Amino acid sequence: MTEQSNDMGSTPNPHRDYGIQTPGTRGVKGTRRYAMVIDLRKCIGCMACVVACKAEFGTPMGVWRSWVKTADKGSYPNTKRIFMPRLCNHCDYPVCVRNCPTQATFKHKDGFVLQRYNRCIGCRTCVIACPYNARHLVPAKRTDMNMPHMVVDKCTFCIHRVKRGQSPACVQACVGGSMVFGDLNNPKSEVAQLVTKEKTTVLKPELGTKPSVFYIGGDWELMDEPHSYKHRTAQLKSEYDAFRKNHPGEQFGDLLESESTMGGVIYNLRTFLPEIPHKFGVILRTIKHLIFG
Amino acid sequence: MEQSVITSNAFFHVAWGAPISVYFWLVGASAGSFVISAFAWVFGIKRYKPISMIASVQAIVMLLIVPLILIADLGKPWRFIYLLMPANWHGTAPMSWGAVLILSYPVSMFIYTYFCIKNDQKWAKILGIVAIILACSTHWYTGVVMELNPGRHLNHTAMAPILFLTGAFISGIGILILIIWIYNMVVAATKRIDWSLVEEMATYMKYGIGFDAFLLWCEFLQTVYGRESEYAAHHYILGGVFYFPYVWLETIIGLVIPFAILCTPLKKMKIGVVTAAFLVAIGVYGMRIWWVLGGQYMQQFY
Repeated sequence: MTEQSNDMGSTPNPHRDYGIQTPGTRGVKGTRRYAMVIDLRKCIGCMACVVACKAEFGTPMGVWRSWVKTADKGSYPNTKRIFMPRLCNHCDYPVCVRNCPTQATFKHKDGFVLQRYNRCIGCRTCVIACPYNARHLVPAKRTDMNMPHMVVDKCTFCIHRVKRGQSPACVQACVGGSMVFGDLNNPKSEVAQLVTKEKTTVLKPELGTKPSVFYIGGDWELMDEPHSYKHRTAQLKSEYDAFRKNHPGEQFGDLLESESTMGGVIYNLRTFLPEIPHKFGVILRTIKHLIFG
Repeated sequence: MEQSVITSNAFFHVAWGAPISVYFWLVGASAGSFVISAFAWVFGIKRYKPISMIASVQAIVMLLIVPLILIADLGKPWRFIYLLMPANWHGTAPMSWGAVLILSYPVSMFIYTYFCIKNDQKWAKILGIVAIILACSTHWYTGVVMELNPGRHLNHTAMAPILFLTGAFISGIGILILIIWIYNMVVAATKRIDWSLVEEMATYMKYGIGFDAFLLWCEFLQTVYGRESEYAAHHYILGGVFYFPYVWLETIIGLVIPFAILCTPLKKMKIGVVTAAFLVAIGVYGMRIWWVLGGQYMQQFY
């Protein structure tokens, strides 16, 4: 990432309405469109990007801003392990921005899709809207309780670093040089040249979201949603259920894959009902605090 | 080379769980019972007057529970007020429409019920029309709030609002029949509701079940003949994890058995009608479960 100028990520235009679905800026002259190219041929699955992201933001346990999906291909002795780092695609037409009822999520003029924690009500509409699993609800308990909690969070393309002329944490940590970040609208940038010269793919192009994360050497089996669901190892399935059971999260009423019966439906309600008095206790305490100090 | 097998991935929870499915069910039942309430005052079917007040109260009570569930489900419960602030209004967001509807529907219903109590036919009719439109709109919204997400294969269908409204109509009648049955047991014989009216409502419910089954069949065809993702969602989600709510709870318990009961002489027996009403009410909840959770399920493994 050598092509960035000093004023990148400058103050957003105050006259612009960031609440509505902002128009796409890819290929529009006079605008920036930050994007990432991930060369999967170079990815060694070291997870350094995941660790760097966790360290940069202090992301709590059980939630991820970025992660690496792994698959085994072939049969012995001709086997291969393939990887696909995942993060927010910072879509040019983000469904999450369109569907957020309080305009908490918005698209920055340089292409970043960002979250305003002070506006977020934690309704998780954006999580439902995002086709890429890129959003999560921050748990109520964090190591640093001054950090946002019980609001939706996501990858920011490390806008705070990009503003200072640095690359995102995951890009900096990538040992194989697999991740490249830059302005797609600048034809001289490395990302623009890679997207022009190499055969790139994006996730779920049929949805028309125009993702800004491009993959080189992407394997369709990792990128295909039904395939990913169908072809999981038995171990991964049981790990998933163990996660759901032992890490209930802050959303209520998940259904375990192994308990998809009448019992599952009842369990699904059981996880929610005890939380109602607790939630209203929070509201009452807040009102009491506002009135009596 | 053989197909790959996914060996590791990040883990996710469903974003909307049990509370949202309960909320969809309650709003639906509220709208359904309100339509019955409006029979007498809006559509001029006078013999439904004794039922209209019970139906109105049922609709109001069910709708009063809804905001409690929704607020409790928010990550920041006290910030629900943001949804009602014009400065935060976001016209493209379906939930913004929902906030307006969930606020205005009970208000119109309260005023309508007030005029019913005052026996003011003119204003009860006007407010009844407004409330019916808002009732249908509120439940229409519950259908579209998940439909307008192109990434959700099971939910992204224009059939959603009609499927929801039909389910609302039959579950609303179902619960109303149960309430009338209990009401008749506790009040004096002179104040009891004429059971022939309940039998008539059961007939409407039967037609509703038939239409609901038809819509479900259309939806089945669309997913089975659909794109890979739609077919996979139907095959692996509805035929897999959500087999119980989809096949048993909704289709067999909620549609087939009550329809069979209402097509036989059992319909003339009180126990037959009450059983059918109960099964329909819980069957529609089965639909809400697979709709809300099932729509999100496959993507969690992506």
